[in-house]
Amino acid sequence: MKKFIYSFLVLFTFTAVSASAQCGDDLLKTALKAMGTSQYIKDFTVEMVKEKKDTKTGYVKFSVVLNSNTQYKFNIVNGASNSEKMIMQLKQSDKLISSNFHNGKMYEEFQFVCRKTGVYNLYFSFKGGQEGCAKSVLSLVKQLK
Amino acid sequence: MLRKFSYLALMIAGISLITACSGSSKKSNDSDELTLAPAESGALELSEEVMSDVIQNISSPVEMASLIKATGVDFSQKILNNPHKVDTYNTSYKRALNLGAYSADLGYINTFNKNSIVVSYLVGIKELAEGIKVGQFFDFTSLKRMATNNNNLDSLMQISISSFNKMDSYLRSQKRSNVSSLIVTGAWIEGLYITANVIEETKNEGLINRIAEQKDIINIIEIILKNYSNDPDFAELAQRIGKLRSAYDGVKITTEFAEPKTIEQDGMLIIVQDEISNVEVTPEQVATIIAEIKSLRQFIVS
Repeated sequence: MKKFIYSFLVLFTFTAVSASAQCGDDLLKTALKAMGTSQYIKDFTVEMVKEKKDTKTGYVKFSVVLNSNTQYKFNIVNGASNSEKMIMQLKQSDKLISSNFHNGKMYEEFQFVCRKTGVYNLYFSFKGGQEGCAKSVLSLVKQLK
Repeated sequence: MLRKFSYLALMIAGISLITACSGSSKKSNDSDELTLAPAESGALELSEEVMSDVIQNISSPVEMASLIKATGVDFSQKILNNPHKVDTYNTSYKRALNLGAYSADLGYINTFNKNSIVVSYLVGIKELAEGIKVGQFFDFTSLKRMATNNNNLDSLMQISISSFNKMDSYLRSQKRSNVSSLIVTGAWIEGLYITANVIEETKNEGLINRIAEQKDIINIIEIILKNYSNDPDFAELAQRIGKLRSAYDGVKITTEFAEPKTIEQDGMLIIVQDEISNVEVTPEQVATIIAEIKSLRQFIVS
């Protein structure tokens, strides 16, 4: 019985440490690596957990100013234990402009050529309302003339 | 004997208490932490949550620096705030504003890979950040090490911006959005000031349009600062921002619709927006805006 408890504790500790690494700075490092040579602007952390009363997780919203004549890139990196991948939607005043989930295909990055300076909203959710953690990095690809 | 000892002990305790109290009192006179303490939501027109959302909406000064570099203009150190002026910023209000200004300078310096002067700006940022109790977000030892290695300039940029983002999130989570708003304002004005100087030198159309497009952003900044206008320092800054906003009155921004494009290239998705904004601004309006930017920037760094 003692052995079982020890094994459980070791397993629990290992899982806790491992889960933390999956959603912490390691995830940001992976996202920054995926960003490549673009210029880092900002990163967004998403951690979704179901509340007791809920059967699905909802969405998280961030706002950001994007400038005209600028090409941006969004990289999305999912936590290793996510059962589903994160969907990111870029909207302006509720109008969907782009998403990493396009025509039934999930993309780990997408670029956006902005032609109108303004406040844009980023909505993050997990497919099927699943729990999970993810990072998204916004970077500058180039300024257009 | 015991009674004498008790009196002596009481006297020492009393003197210690008085000294401690006067020390504490002096400290609170020297420091102005009270003015930048967590704002009470009840006193604000906009809640901390709304403010947090609004503050996120200010664009990064790095983008402006990148646009300046794209014009081909040379780097100019003389337009930046002098890092040795840090000691003269002895209130939390000034420290927060100039922490923002130096962060914009750092973005400009990093964009032009001028690592020889990065360290002096990092030292300045460290002092100001510690002065408003947010120094813990900057690993200055690593940053300095990176600054002295040419190969690490990209990492230096990422870590310094990331540190600022973490600090900003922390301040907002601690309901210190008032401090955040000063840092954001300082960074935004410094970015405009650097750009204004380059415009005067180059008359670059892209930069003029970028300055003119800030018309919408200035409204956001003014809303943020007015929210804390119970504090006279914030009220004065909001009033000065109001003057800059007035200089933008004649600037026209229109939107036209174009064909949206979605391109898939090497497994990557590229979306081209279907709306295009056009800016109409006259040289006279640009000159007025630049004059106001310079006046506001002088107020911040002096």
